[in-house]
Amino acid sequence: MEPSDPAKFDRRKFLQRTLVAAGSAVALAPRLIGADANDSSAPAAVPIPVPATPAEAETSSVYQTFSPDEAAFVEAMVNLMCPADALTPNGVDCGLALFIDRQLAGGFGKGERLYRRGPWRHGPAEFGYQLPLSPEDFFKNGLAAADAASRRLHGRNFADLDPATGDRFLQAVAEGQVSDERLPLAEWFNELVYPLFNQACFADPLYGGNKDKVFWKMIGYPGLPAVNGLNMAKYRGKPFPGAAAPKSIEDFS
Amino acid sequence: MVIVGGGVAGGMVARQLSAAGIEVVVLENGGDHRQSAAARLPSQRDELRWSTHMGLMQDSATETYTWRHNRTDLARPLRRLAVFLPGSGVGGAGNHWGGQAFRWEEYDTELRTRLESRYGAAAIPADMPIRDWGVSYRELEPYYDLFERLYGVAGQAGNLRGKIQPGGNPFEAPRQHAYPQPPGEETELGRLFRDAAGNRFGYKAYPSPSALSPAAYTNPDGMKLGACQYCGHCDRFICEAEAKASPEVLLYPWLEKQPKFELRRFCHVLKVEHDPGAGQVRGVEYLDLLTGEVCRQPADVVVLAAFTLSNTKLLLTGGIGRPYDPGAQTGVVGRNFCYQTNAAISVFLPDRWINPFLASGCSVHLIEEFNDDNFDHTGLGFLGGGIIASGSGSGRPIAARTLPPGTPRWGTAWKQANADGYAHAGAVGFQGSSYPQRENFLDLDPDYRDAFGQPLLRITFDHRDNELRMAEYGAARMVEIARAMGATRLGPLEPPARPFDTRGYQSTHITGGTSMGRDPATSVLSPRLQHWDAENLFVVGASAFAHNSGHNPTELVGALALRLGDDLVGYVRRPGRLG
Repeated sequence: MEPSDPAKFDRRKFLQRTLVAAGSAVALAPRLIGADANDSSAPAAVPIPVPATPAEAETSSVYQTFSPDEAAFVEAMVNLMCPADALTPNGVDCGLALFIDRQLAGGFGKGERLYRRGPWRHGPAEFGYQLPLSPEDFFKNGLAAADAASRRLHGRNFADLDPATGDRFLQAVAEGQVSDERLPLAEWFNELVYPLFNQACFADPLYGGNKDKVFWKMIGYPGLPAVNGLNMAKYRGKPFPGAAAPKSIEDFS
Repeated sequence: MVIVGGGVAGGMVARQLSAAGIEVVVLENGGDHRQSAAARLPSQRDELRWSTHMGLMQDSATETYTWRHNRTDLARPLRRLAVFLPGSGVGGAGNHWGGQAFRWEEYDTELRTRLESRYGAAAIPADMPIRDWGVSYRELEPYYDLFERLYGVAGQAGNLRGKIQPGGNPFEAPRQHAYPQPPGEETELGRLFRDAAGNRFGYKAYPSPSALSPAAYTNPDGMKLGACQYCGHCDRFICEAEAKASPEVLLYPWLEKQPKFELRRFCHVLKVEHDPGAGQVRGVEYLDLLTGEVCRQPADVVVLAAFTLSNTKLLLTGGIGRPYDPGAQTGVVGRNFCYQTNAAISVFLPDRWINPFLASGCSVHLIEEFNDDNFDHTGLGFLGGGIIASGSGSGRPIAARTLPPGTPRWGTAWKQANADGYAHAGAVGFQGSSYPQRENFLDLDPDYRDAFGQPLLRITFDHRDNELRMAEYGAARMVEIARAMGATRLGPLEPPARPFDTRGYQSTHITGGTSMGRDPATSVLSPRLQHWDAENLFVVGASAFAHNSGHNPTELVGALALRLGDDLVGYVRRPGRLG
C-alpha cells in the first residue's frame, strides 16, 4: 500500500487507535475499580473507536495470536501479495490475514501433528522443517527477523514500505537474498508463510480466508456439493455453469 | 489367530479365515471413520482439513520415520509426514487411497528369470538384488480375480484368456474373467491424452482400472458400494457415497457379523513375542489405548498386516530375523526397500475446457508401452519402466492448480494466471518402477523414538543411477505425448530429484523390508509369506514385495492376502512349514 492510499492510512490509524484504547482500558480498569468500585460509568468513559466499515470490525479486531505490530506486518503483506484489483478485494478484505492468524493460533500453529523430539539437526532442505519452534513461534520470530531486515535495508518496518519496495523485499526474502544472523528467512517464507498465503486464498471460507468464495469464483472452482455423476458427460470439454456461483461448506450447513 | 493391523491386507486374510470358521482377532491401533466428519457431507469436502492437514493420516507427533540418503549420513526425522501417507484407524491407508487397482505384469513376480532370459545374467548389476518372489502369476490369478469381484473393480479387460481385447491394456496378463464392472466416465484431458498417444504414436491408451464404483454394486459377500459422484475428493479422503471400495465399507462390517471374528480397536501392538529356540512366536504385546494398560495376547498364529513400514519395525523390535547389513551383505530384515520413481509435466490448453474438478481418483487414461519390461531394454543402460498417464484426478484448489512457467508467485499477475488457467490446464505423469538397490534399506534409528518409547524406523534411500536413467527415458516419452496433446505451453519437466526430497507428496507406494523369496539368506519370508525363522508367523502387505513396479500396489497386496488366508486355513488344520 502506498502512503497516499487512504484505505491503508485508515487501517493503520484504526489499528493504532484500537491499541491505545485497549491499553487504556486495561491500565485504567483496576485503578478505577480500586478508587470507586461502584463507579460503573467509568469504563464506559473510555472512548471506543467505531470501525469505519464492517470488514474492519471482522478482521483486525478479532486476531487471536497476532500483536498489533504482527498484524500490521501480515496485513501489509497479504495486501501486497493480493492487491485490490479487478479480480479480488485486497488481501485483508479477502480474510487472508484472519486465516493466517487462526491457523497459527490453532492446532497447526501449536505444533499439532508435528514430531517435536530431539536431537535437533537443522539440515539439508530436503528433510523439511527441523527446528524446535512451534509453527506459531517460527512465524513470529521470522516476522520479527524480516522486520529487522527491512529496517536495516530500507530504514523502516515492512508494513511502512511502499508497495514496490515491499514487493522487492519479499522477493529477496523468498530468494534467500535477505539473511538473518540466526533464523533461516527463506525457509520461513517459502515453507511456512507462502503455503499459509496459498491456503488462505483457496481453502473453504470456513477458516476465515477466501471470503465470499472470492478465489473460487476467480478461478471457476464450483465447490460443493460436487455431485458430478451426470456432469462428467454433460460438461466434458464445455464450460461448467456451477463455476460462476461456487458453494462452500457453510452453504450446506 | 491374531492379525496385526485392520487394513486391506488384514481384512482380506480374515475374510478367508472367517469363511472357514476359524477364530480371528484383529488388533487395530485406531477407530472407525464411517460415521465421522470425514465420511459425511459437507465436512467431507474440506481440502484443508483432510488433505493439507492430513486429518486421516498417521499422526507424525506419535510416530514418524527418519530418512537419510546414504548410510554415512545423519538421519533426520520426517517431522510432518508428507512424502508418503500411512493411514490411521480401521481401513488404514485403504480408506484414503485413490482407487487404482492394477494386476501386475505376468513376469513381475519372476523378474530375475525374465530379465536374465531376455538380456543375459550380466545385464543385472551386482548391486541390484532383483529376484524372483517364488510365486507365479498363474498362482495369483484366482486371487486377483477374487479381489476384483470383492472390490467391484471397473475396467476394460485387455487380455481375456490370452485373447487381446480392444480398448484394454494389450500388455495385460491373461485374465480368466472380465472386470466385474465396465470403466467409469472419461475426462476431457484423458481423451486428449488417449487420442494423442494413439493417433500420433500408436500407443494403446486405456482407462485406469478403478475401485471407485461407477454404479451401485453388490459384491459376492452381499456388501454394497454406492455410485461414484466424481467429486474429486478420493485420495486423502473417505468417500461419503461409499463408492470407493475400502475395508471399512466392504470387509469389516461383514467380518464383524461372523461369530468367531473380533476387531479390537485402539490397540497398538508393541512387540511380537518370539521364542527363537522353538522357531515360533507366542503372541503379541499391545498397549490398550483406552485403558493405558499393556496387554498380552497369546496366539497360535500371528499375521503381521500393518502398514508396510510397521511390518518391518515389528520384526526388528521383536528381534525376529537378522537385520540387513548392507556393508557386510548379511541379514535380511529391512532389505529390498523400494519406492517409486515419478515425473510429471504440466500441459496448458487455453482453448479446451479441462474442468479439473470433474474428476475421480481413477479418471485417467494410461499407456503401458514403457512400463517395467514391456519394452526392449537392450542398449538402454537401465532396467524397469513406468506407466504414463493423464486425466483429472481432483482439481482441488489449494493443491491442484497448474500455473504456466514464469508466473509470479503473488500479485495481480499471479491471480490472473490462476483465473485464466485453472479450467484449462492439467498434467501428464510418469509413475516408474523402483528396483532394489543394496544401499536402500530400513533399520531402527539409534537416536529417535516414538510416543510409545520405541525407536523410529530409519529409511536409507535415494534414487540410484538405474532409476534416474529409467525415469529420464520414460519422462522423454511422456513429454512427446504431452506436446502432441495440443498444449500451447508445457510446464518444466519435474523429474525425480536426487538427493531425494521428502517435503512434498510423491507416493505411498513404498515396498519391501520383509521381502519374500526362495532363499532364506536373502529373504525374510518364504514364497507363502511364512517367516523363515518363526514357523507360525506370517507377514503380508507391500512389505513382502521384492521390488516395486510402475503399477500401484493395492490389488497385488489384496491378492497375496487372500492367498495367505487360504493357506492359513490349511495351516491351522496341519501346522508346519508350508511348501
